[in-house]
Parts: sequence; structure tokens; C-alpha cells
Amino acid sequence: MAVAAIAMLAACGKKGAESADHGTDAAPGAETSAVEVAAAEEPAKPADLIVRPPKDPFPSTYEPYPSKATLITGATVLTGTGERIENGAVLIVDGKISAVGPAASVSAPEGATQIDAKGKYVTPGIIDIHSHLGVYPSPSTESTSDGNEAVSPNTAQVWAEHSVWPQDAGFTRALAGGITSLQILPGSANLFGGRSVILKNVPSRTVQGMKFPGAPYGLKMACGENPKRVYGLTGGPSTRMANFSGYRAAWIEAAAYKKKWEDYWADAEKFYADEKNDSDKKGDEEKKPPEPPTRDLKLETLAGALNGDIIVNMHCYRADEMVQVLDMAKEFGYKVATFHHAVEAYKIADYLAKNNVCAAMWADWWGFKLEAYDGVRENISLVDAQPNSCAIVHSDSEVGIQRLNQEAAKAMADGAHIGHKATEEHAIEWLTSNPAKAMGIADKTGSLEPGKMADVVIWNRTPFSVYALAEKVYIDGALMFDRDDPKRSPRTDFEIGQPGNGFTGGAGQ
Amino acid sequence: MNGASTMKKFLLAGAALAIGALSSAAALAQSAASQTILIQNARLITSGPQGVIENGDVLLRDGVIAGVGVDLAAPEGANVIDAAGRTITAGFIAPFSQLGIEEISLDREANDASPDPGFPLSAALDSLDAYNPTSSVIAVERAGGITRALISPQAGDKLFAGKAAVIDLSGRVASVTKANAAQLAMAGYSGAARSGDTRMGAWAMLREYLSEAASYAANPRDYLLRKREDRFFISDLEALGPVVAGREPLIISANSAADIRNVIRLKSDYSLNVIILGGSEAWRVARELAAANIPVILDAMQNLPTQFEDLGSTMANAARLQAAGVTIAFFNDGGTPHNMRLLPQYAGNAVAHGLPYDAAIAALTINPAKMFGVDAKLGSVEIGKAGDIVVWDGDPLEVTTRPVAVFIDGRAMSMENRQTKLRDRYKDLSKGDLPFAYRGEE
Repeated sequence: MAVAAIAMLAACGKKGAESADHGTDAAPGAETSAVEVAAAEEPAKPADLIVRPPKDPFPSTYEPYPSKATLITGATVLTGTGERIENGAVLIVDGKISAVGPAASVSAPEGATQIDAKGKYVTPGIIDIHSHLGVYPSPSTESTSDGNEAVSPNTAQVWAEHSVWPQDAGFTRALAGGITSLQILPGSANLFGGRSVILKNVPSRTVQGMKFPGAPYGLKMACGENPKRVYGLTGGPSTRMANFSGYRAAWIEAAAYKKKWEDYWADAEKFYADEKNDSDKKGDEEKKPPEPPTRDLKLETLAGALNGDIIVNMHCYRADEMVQVLDMAKEFGYKVATFHHAVEAYKIADYLAKNNVCAAMWADWWGFKLEAYDGVRENISLVDAQPNSCAIVHSDSEVGIQRLNQEAAKAMADGAHIGHKATEEHAIEWLTSNPAKAMGIADKTGSLEPGKMADVVIWNRTPFSVYALAEKVYIDGALMFDRDDPKRSPRTDFEIGQPGNGFTGGAGQ
Repeated sequence: MNGASTMKKFLLAGAALAIGALSSAAALAQSAASQTILIQNARLITSGPQGVIENGDVLLRDGVIAGVGVDLAAPEGANVIDAAGRTITAGFIAPFSQLGIEEISLDREANDASPDPGFPLSAALDSLDAYNPTSSVIAVERAGGITRALISPQAGDKLFAGKAAVIDLSGRVASVTKANAAQLAMAGYSGAARSGDTRMGAWAMLREYLSEAASYAANPRDYLLRKREDRFFISDLEALGPVVAGREPLIISANSAADIRNVIRLKSDYSLNVIILGGSEAWRVARELAAANIPVILDAMQNLPTQFEDLGSTMANAARLQAAGVTIAFFNDGGTPHNMRLLPQYAGNAVAHGLPYDAAIAALTINPAKMFGVDAKLGSVEIGKAGDIVVWDGDPLEVTTRPVAVFIDGRAMSMENRQTKLRDRYKDLSKGDLPFAYRGEE
């Protein structure tokens, strides 16, 4: 039988692309290169002469849009921290969550917009840890297929953000589904797919204008069928054992590269310290400063994963492979943050919890390939039932991302049928605080707690329903989508003026 | 209601209990056709003239529906099931799928849905030649409330895919409801991609095939006298015979409004019985479709400009088509069989975007039955129709609702499948006296 080439690459099932990306902890521009310093007017300080590759060369330019102080009252509030407040209130001031509690306990500042949300639900903005929006955008054509650099099994050097097309209509549809933050991953054709990027779901002319400020970068890796399928006839890997030898050889190289830089920094610090001491000595034979190693983008990303700056996202379906990956991570001293897809996570839910690894899963996708054959509807619930677990609902789909709430609802119902009853206030964590934690942004978003970004969704009813619709979506306190107001509904450059769009149009199309 | 002491009472109080009870019901019913079952006190959505009956009863006897109403008397020896608090619908019908012909999509060894490029035959291919009634996928979808499905080949690199059939999801050998239920053809970009990358090629070739099929049907002997290089494959033309005679529906994959207008013209030129598959912009041609009596099997979740033929995609498609009088049904994921069980979710989303609830239920039951000419037997809870019944633990369209019992031809189906067995094997991960491989068949 014929199998479409695109489907074969579907890292994840449908379109198949994944990436991982993780922002630096450093503030944008905190690191400067020696070259820049050399051009500066001021005499360089010795510390500035030490070469350090920039950690954030494409810094976020996102700034929250104007927001008004807003008090939402009367709703059932699911905070994302496991709490449920009936007749609750959420107060947004200056783009941040200012207060959350029973309606009676929160009062509006003067001039605040008041929203009566009686009968409705309020949750944190939904976060999708696994998306290919922008890198596999709509329209899906050869020209826009930018998610898998499927030319070599190790393309750790590529960054998903350089493929993201901000005009993908999928971003707007996801917004209408309550998505406020998302991780865009390269595809899963490769053992090492490249860096991911974490975005705020705010339309922008540029990718930088969408980048989540201060979010770490991630690295996308892939297990199993996809890499061996893609490279089986072109030099390998053609087997799972070669997948592993490929990962390990790369980690060995990355460790050596990391050490080269660490040695250089140690030498350079010593050198410039010495030189400073000897700076007025003339006539001595001139000492040459240590030469920095040559930069290698591939190894730079891998070294970042080894030292923990870059979060590792591992596409893996089978239980036995996931456990082997955990051993490999121990061998090289890095951490796997999340297994993506993890269709067999239920078989090793105890291992995952003990090793503090998250599993990002679908509610019910299965059977599209052999490594997805053992899918069960209770996967999310069985992972969640373990103590200290980290279950995440993900989409990997431009359709699924519009309704992660429904995916969570199905998982909740299927769990209940086998006695794992998850409350709504708990299940909402699968698509808010748990992905935030796994993506390294939980200090900024993912729950309704004072001081956090006001990423907030008002639903017309419980989000755990097929009939639920996001009515209002706030990002950093700014109302970015309002189902009742066409003026609060973005349209991409691609769609504007197209037949049909003008009549139907906008984010909820 | 009759309280005869010979009755075997089963309660549907809880899902687990219900599954247990119905398994024993299934065991009792080895001679299925002779079994009599009365299901009582449910919210009964009939998809038929009786509409919705609160506290309704359904009597299944000899494989068919023998009674529908309130306070039906239980015949002697009947199994009586109290379904208070439950909802009953006719079994849902998947109008386009590869059930039983595709076990694993990306595994060549386990997917018979379409031929590799270059394979010569097309319309002649018959889904039933590849059909495996014991495919593990079937029991999984059945547990989700799907009782019948159209199974269709997918097109290889030719415009026609082959013959579709209607099957039931009982897993029996004798599970074919209707052979030659439809033929599938590609138009729109799917057609262009198989015709020199132009829609001109697709429409010219579709017409060529239909004309040749008509010519062959009119005079087979003359056709055979042609030089071999001037002939199409006879088996393909034979397969298209009932299509050009208007007896067998031709499902045409098309999305843009322009392509759909071409389909309407094609139907009129060749007197075909046409069904549109896809139809992302069908709402833009809704009145014309209604006037031409062309039904649409649509993906209720299509709201993105996936291709240039989908620019007008909207979640309101279903509601607008229905309002214009077009008969609709739903499919998903191009017919990949593994989540046919999500059809109710898709219908529910259409309701959230304006489709009337009753119309959504009809799209899952009576509409597909009509499309394939099996509505005399299937698609509603009416006396004389097949005993395809699903008992749900809530609103059937709600994502948190699951079936508690499924009947096909009056027989209680097992709710177990490979997935439930895997789940049960691994739901307790504590170490046992033997490896996990020993669990699950006790």
C-alpha cells in the first residue's frame, strides 16, 4: 500500500515535525561577543575580552499589549494549582494577575472593567507543549513545509524559530481555543531535530514579536520508527540500535566540545587576570591570549542540553525505549524533561514518576504506526494516577490545539471509568501548569496566582465539554480574542481578503 | 411493564456492572437471532418519526427492533434491562472509513487500503477482498458506539479508488451488509495531483472514464474489438457500470466551491448518484447542492486554509449546509479507521457551532444510511429495522459520555477489545509473582 511521504515523516502522527527549543536564562543581550566589544569606544575590560557565544541572538521583542484593570466575577475559577473557587473572582491589573479568590473577597479598583461571568468558567490560558504551527503552517504546501530538516539524522544546529511563519492561520484558530502559550518543535525525522521556540500566542509581524520573553530553549529528539524510516536507505540509522549509537556518539562529541569551551574560559580568565597583574611590564615577550574554540552550532545546542540550559523534549512512543533513554540520560548526565506522545507511558508510569519526567500525550490517538498500536484511552489518567506524576495533554496538531480542553475531558472521563477520578480543578493542570513546568515557564504563567502573567480564558461553560467555547482570551491582561466582538479577532495576512474569510472570518472561523 | 418471574433482570446502574451484565447477556445469546431483549426507561433518540421518547423502551427480537414506545410489555423469556438515566440511539454509522482494511496506517504489511503508485487497476479494486472482520480496530470502534461503516479503498495514483461496502462491526464472518455500496473518485487537488497536477487533467480523465464505462456497458462486444492500446481495463469499466447507470453512488472527493460546481455538472451530465466527500467550501454552494440532491460527507473540524481549495473552511459548514437542506454526515482523518469512535465528538462540535442537535444525531445515523441505500434496514430506532442500538451513559455527543452497551442485529456485543485488555494488564504496576505477560486472561 502506498503511504504518503508526508505522513511517513509525521513525527508525531499527522504532519510529523517536532522541535525543541529553549530560551536562555540570561536577559536578552546580556552576553556580548568579543567582536562587538572590540568595536566599542571604551577600553575593554579584561572580562569582556573572553569570547562567549551569544545565548540569545534573536531576542524577544514581545511586549504586552495595553490592558485595562479587569475584574471577572461570579465564575467557577479553576486556578491551575489544583484549586476550584465557586463564585470566584480574578482581578487583572497591569497585565498581571493581581488577586484570585471568592468574589466577595476581591474588589475592583476604580475604573476597572467588570465582567459578570456567572455560570461561566475561568481558567489559566491553555498551553500546548507540542505544536508545529508556523513550521508546518496552513496552507500546507511544499513551499511552506519547514518543519523537518530531513537531510541528516543529527540537525541539532537548526532552530525552529527560523522556520516559523507568523502568518500561519493556525495561530489564530488556536487562540480561539484558549491557547496563550505554545512550544513550536522541529519534526521528528531526526535523532536530533533542532531547537524549539516558545511563543506567546500573539499575532506579530515577526517571530521575535511572538517569542516568550525569558523562556528557555528546548531540544527536540526522536526515538523509534521515524529516524530509522527516514534514513534507512540513505546511510542510517536503519535500526533502533543505530538510533541509540547515534545519540550517544553525539553526546560524546558534545561533552568534549563543552569541555573545550570550559577549558578555554578557565584559561582565558587566568590569562587576563595575569595580564592585568603584568600590564605595566614592558619588554617581556608578548603573551598571546588563549584562542577560543571554533563555534559549532550543532554542538553548542547539545552542550546546552548537557549543562541544563536547554530543555530536552524526547519524542518516544514505546515504553521499553523510554526507559532506555532514561539510562542514556544518566550516562551523559542530562535530564529528559518530557517524553512526547508517550503512547505506552501507562506501562511505565511508575518509572516516569520516579524519574521526575513528564509525559505529554493525546487522549486517544493510536494505530497510525506500529509503535502507536498499544494506545489506550486511559493513558493520561494512568500516568496521572502515580504519585508525583506530571501528565500533560498535547496536540501535535493544528486541529487538536484548538480543543485541548476536550482532549482533557475525554481523558478525565476514561480515567473515571476505571476508578481514577480526576476533578476538573486537577485535570486543568494537564494543559496549564504541568506544561508550563515542563517548558520552564511556570514561574511566569500556567496558573492564576498573583504576580503571574494575566493569561486567562473565560469559557461559556465548563471547559470539559464538547459544547464549551472560549469566549474571551487574555494574554498578559490584554483582550486578544472576544467571540462576541469581530474587532477582537485576528486575521492573518494570508487569509485577509480571501473569499469566504470575509464572510466567516476571524480566529474562531 | 410485565414482572414475569422468568425474566432475567439486568441493571444498567453503573458502567462496570452493565458491562458485566451484558457480557453474560452475550454469553446467554449464542443463538442470537432467537434472543429477546427489552431495554426500558431510557431517553430514546429514535432518528425516526417517533422523535425523542422520554422513558422509552426498545424491544429487540430475532435480531430486529420489534417494539419502540413507552411501557412495552416484556414477552415471556425476555431479558429485561433497566436503562433508567441512560440514552439510547440507533447505532452510529461511519460513512467513510478503512475499517477492516487498514490495521496500522504506516505499516505496509498491515495496510491494504490503497495500491502503490503504478499499480494498473483502480475502480475494480474491491474493499471486501481485503476486508478482515477480526481486525482489532473494529472492536475498539464498536466500543465507541459505531455499529456500521462504509469501508472504502483509498486511491493510489489513479482517480478511482475502488468499491466500497457497508459492513457491521460485530466481527462476524457474515458482517457484510451491502457489497458494491459505492465507488470513490478523486477530484479537486486530490484529482489534480493524480492527473498531471492540473484540475483540467482530473476532470478530463474523470469524464473519459465515465464515458468509456458507458460505452462499454452499452456495447461490450464493440469495445472489445478495439485495439488493446485504445482500451481501458475492462474490470475497471465493469466496476463503473452501475455508477454510470446511476445505481451505485459515486463518492467524489472535492473541497472548493468551484470543484463542487463541477461535481454538480458532472452529476447532471452523466445522471450519476453523487456524494461529496470533504466539501470544506460546500457551504458556499449549499443551495445548489440541495437543489441537485447531493449529500456531503464532511469533516466537521475543518476550519483552516489547509490547501488553496479550503480557503473558505469554517466550523459553520455543517450548520449552513443543513439549514439549506443538504443531507450531511461526518468523517475524520481521511477515513483512517482508528478513531471512528470520535464521530460523536465531531457532531458535538458542529452543534457548538450552530447545527441543531437532532440534525447532528441524524448525521450519525439515518443520513449515512440514506446515502448508501440501507435506510430501510438501518439508521433509526424503528420497528422492523435491524437491532443496532447503543446505550449511552449520558448525552451521546458529549466528550465525557461512553457507551455502556452496544447491540448489533439484536445481539449484545462485547465491550472488551485489545485496548481494554492492555489497560487492565497495566493498571496496577506493582510487581507480581509473574511478569506482566501473564496478566490479563484470567
